[in-house]
Amino acid sequence: MNTLNKILILGSGQAAIYAASEIRKYDKDSEISIFGNENYHPYERPPLSKEFLMGKKKEEEFLFFSKNFFADQNIHYINKEINGVDFINKSLISFDNKKYFFDKLLITTGSTNRRIAIDEEIDNEIYYLRNLDDANQIKKKASEVNSIAIIGGGFIGLEIASSLNQQNKSVSLIEISNQLMGRIIPFPIANLVKVEHEKHGNKIYLDSKIKSIEKTNDAFKILLDNDHVIEAEMIIGGIGSIPTVDLFNDSDLKLKNGILTNAYNQTSVENVYAAGDVSNFFHPLYQKNIRLESYQHAQNQGINAGKNIAGIKSEYLSIPWMWSDQFDLNLQLTGLCDDYHEIIERGENIENGIIYFFIKDDKIVGACGLGLTGKVGRDIRIASKLIEKQTIIDKKILSNQKEKLNPLLKK
Amino acid sequence: MTNENWIEVGKSDSIDMEDLIRFDHSGKTFCVYRIEDGFYATDGICTHEAVHLEDGLVMDDEIECPMHQGIFNIKTGEAISPPACDDLKTYPVKVENDLVYINIS
Repeated sequence: MNTLNKILILGSGQAAIYAASEIRKYDKDSEISIFGNENYHPYERPPLSKEFLMGKKKEEEFLFFSKNFFADQNIHYINKEINGVDFINKSLISFDNKKYFFDKLLITTGSTNRRIAIDEEIDNEIYYLRNLDDANQIKKKASEVNSIAIIGGGFIGLEIASSLNQQNKSVSLIEISNQLMGRIIPFPIANLVKVEHEKHGNKIYLDSKIKSIEKTNDAFKILLDNDHVIEAEMIIGGIGSIPTVDLFNDSDLKLKNGILTNAYNQTSVENVYAAGDVSNFFHPLYQKNIRLESYQHAQNQGINAGKNIAGIKSEYLSIPWMWSDQFDLNLQLTGLCDDYHEIIERGENIENGIIYFFIKDDKIVGACGLGLTGKVGRDIRIASKLIEKQTIIDKKILSNQKEKLNPLLKK
Repeated sequence: MTNENWIEVGKSDSIDMEDLIRFDHSGKTFCVYRIEDGFYATDGICTHEAVHLEDGLVMDDEIECPMHQGIFNIKTGEAISPPACDDLKTYPVKVENDLVYINIS
């Protein structure tokens, strides 16, 4: 009789590999298999829009762990598309109708790019960035053209705009709202990012809705509702993403903006867990469900899921944190900045870094900073710790960049 | 070990407790730390992506990179939290007459 536990991980991104590695730390015997539909072992995605596009990093440089990880840890990587799930009989069903049974299942299917719908013929020619194949296609096409239009002024669009600018491309970026990176980023910081892009020659169009796109020979003519016309040989879309849950639409799994999970990564189906972009998880500190799309979250929630799957009860309490690198600037965001009483500003210029702290009941609930590489990281990290500890803060210290924030951690 | 290997970094009180200073020498860059039980030194650049650790956060005996939050043990250089996975090189440190020296040979 086979008494080994079978643990299947559906999805092969960062949450998957960190979960598998964590399970193996505590459980040397269970059979662990990761199902991925990419031809690569799990790799870091942040370089795709930056160092990889600029030719500064090659794909083999951003694999998670070593090449021997799977063999050394006795973890299987199965490159097969799964297109069915049977929670009653506890199995995944592959496109060739093979069944893979599990005792425990972790879902890390991530998220899928929203696509632009303007005109079918044009839509199919728009590039998107999600994985290494996409990045290779963008890199190849970009090398053949000079003018590129990017639709969407979020982090991905801006990072691509920065990278392509540094490849001497003429970049136009179109954003529907009146500021870059959505309302979650303080307006002055969004504006400084805009100024930086413009300083390098990128054209940024805010408050701009696309009226039509025409194709003329090998170029596109994009007409905006404010009557600006942009000509570009290539269009890249970056208009956000949605959790990848198609497989579960008719299942018992409770879905709401992703897969609903508790603080222990458990879904509504017993022995089925979720982590990373796809999970809409309950955060005990914020007392509400949140869904995050970030590197740190995929990693830490993957690790947390691994612990729970291995039988070590672990509550996920990580404070949200993310970064974006554009030109020489590093932007960092921690906590949640959507529910606050006041904002405190620290710093005056990007050379030394500027941070906005979001305060509620004399505690920091979120912080957003922008500065030359390395200049805001320490204070943002301290902010994360102060959020976690729910420390009552001294606003004068926060607003005075000459005063170090480290002592606040000792309170 | 001869005296020539020891390079003067500066006055010991120029480094705050639980903090670090950057020290550049012979085209290389280092971090020199002061923590509860003494002074330590490591390479100055994070092994994950080439970012200087001088702006990182020192907590107990750990240094955290300001860019992507990789964490290293200050005393051993061990990478203890991803995304950092390669260890930092460490260097011997001594304090004599309130001056800090590191041995970078």
